[in-house]
Amino acid sequence: MLATLAQAVINGLLIGGIYALVSIGVTLIFGVVKIVNFAQGEFVMIGMYISFFLASSFGVDPLLSLLISMPTLFAIGVLVQHFLIRRVLGLGDMPQIFLTFALSLLLMNVALLLFTANYRTVQTAYSESSFHIGPLYFAVAKLIAFVIAMLLSAVLYLFLHGTDLGKAMRAAAQNREVAMLMGINPDRVFCVAVGVALALAGAAGSLLMPFYPAYPLVGQVFVLMAFVAVVLGTLGNITGALIASLMMGVAESLGVQFVGADSGLIVVFVLLLLTLALRPNGLFGGWAR
Amino acid sequence: MGAVKSARFTRSWSWVAALAAAGLVLPVVVADPFALDIFIRVLLFAFIGVAWNLMGGYAKQLSLGHAAFFGLGAYTSTILLIRFGISPWIGILAGGLVAMAASLPIGALCFRLRGPYFAIATIATAQVLMLLFLKFRDFAWGAEGTTLPNLGDAPLMMQFESRAAYYYIALALLTLGLAITYCIERSWIGFYLVAVGEDEDAAEAVGVDTTKIKRHIYLISAFLTALAGTFYVEYIYFIDPNTAFSFNISVEAALVSIVGGIGTLWGPVVGTVLLEATSALLQSWLGSGHGGVQLTVYSLILIAVILWRPNGLIGLFTDLYQRFTHAGAARARKVPFDG
Repeated sequence: MLATLAQAVINGLLIGGIYALVSIGVTLIFGVVKIVNFAQGEFVMIGMYISFFLASSFGVDPLLSLLISMPTLFAIGVLVQHFLIRRVLGLGDMPQIFLTFALSLLLMNVALLLFTANYRTVQTAYSESSFHIGPLYFAVAKLIAFVIAMLLSAVLYLFLHGTDLGKAMRAAAQNREVAMLMGINPDRVFCVAVGVALALAGAAGSLLMPFYPAYPLVGQVFVLMAFVAVVLGTLGNITGALIASLMMGVAESLGVQFVGADSGLIVVFVLLLLTLALRPNGLFGGWAR
Repeated sequence: MGAVKSARFTRSWSWVAALAAAGLVLPVVVADPFALDIFIRVLLFAFIGVAWNLMGGYAKQLSLGHAAFFGLGAYTSTILLIRFGISPWIGILAGGLVAMAASLPIGALCFRLRGPYFAIATIATAQVLMLLFLKFRDFAWGAEGTTLPNLGDAPLMMQFESRAAYYYIALALLTLGLAITYCIERSWIGFYLVAVGEDEDAAEAVGVDTTKIKRHIYLISAFLTALAGTFYVEYIYFIDPNTAFSFNISVEAALVSIVGGIGTLWGPVVGTVLLEATSALLQSWLGSGHGGVQLTVYSLILIAVILWRPNGLIGLFTDLYQRFTHAGAARARKVPFDG
């Protein structure tokens, strides 16, 4: 019983690392640009397909294709910010919500047209391997994904706190007007923020590929999880999103283990509604300084 | 001024009368069941859009979970029909009442939230209901769903041999939705709703009980959406959680309103006609079986509307109308609070 519990917690933490990459992206865009990106899951999907095609056509290991999926999605992010999101900033809720929502619909359905609804998987040497520590077992692919996800989160943290561009991003997030007066170009900062957020989504996609199938609607799974984590962790708070994502992974895994195989999502949604009802500002509050 | 006003009045009502006449004779002229099916879909989705528009358009509460009420309406009448043999004519009202009852707790939860939070919370409520109905295997047939018993030509049980009958029910529903919207638009409730939509804090500050007004309009919107749900399952003779609580219903309700013109009486109708016409054209060009084409085109249209015509395409038509009629009279037709 205790071993089952510990195993469920470990499984949840490992997948929670992937959720963290997605939700850090969502919370970064919200914090800096003040937009909720409904399409974040679709960028995970794009990252997965990039890794899938690199693996199936050129035999590139999904983890190595991280080096291609991340810059590609960074570029897509800059374009999305420059040509789409920038044009609805300062408008009402409707354009702001439905622009990224329409983008999400568009990407899902274009993927459906191009790649069909078939599940695509990549088999690597480590896809099925695992090792034991006492009664607990660790899937190697998930463990690698978790470790790299945590490394990327740490790098982002250092970037936001240690570099001028990162500090400019945080400044623009706190007060756009004052940041502009200090000589920060908000358009450039916003492009970088969306680019970085999408690069993280692309990384999540590549990291998932060794153990998770790619299909056009796969992003929905991750974006829902990310929304819950982002609200739970307080919108705009990166550390909060990270911690909440790991919690979400554990909650989902416990739900599957102890309530039933199809109950993971119910647990997540109920948690979301409870959070919104009881602590609409999340557990942490404020932008991570 | 009075003369202009009454001319305007006559003109706008003659438009409505012409539309109504065209709507009424359409099944007589168009006998092809496939074409009639498209018209029924247009009427139904326009009606769902009108119901959504009360909430999303006038009060700007951008719900992405109206499938919750559609599904509750569909399930209530179907359970009453199959388990208790009660006519869907009663079931449709019961479904509406159940949806109204459900809108109270959902509203209590979601109305504290603004903008994107509200949208996300409404998605979650519809998804929770769908997941619950997937679990109710004994009572509501679980994931497999069920077909409705075919009783032949039984008007008292909302089952008809001729498709025209379904057409007229859908037309009646849309008329009801438009009439309710028309009345609300012209009453104090309409002005309160627009105030809430424009700036909730300011509305609260001048003494509008924003929570109360949102709760009231949510009740009406939920009721109407549930009617559409019952009608839909009676029309297709099948129900399962993925159909009844389909996220596509929530999306399309919002989509037709935004494309047509959010917060306008005719916006959802214009939007549905445009989108369904596009979809029918695409199908005749490409044939069915190209999964994704329809929604790809819909989302492109939606992005284009948001970037270039955020007040909806209905504006294009009023502009054209202005160009072809006396500009002065047309300008006078402008509603005081569009946009």
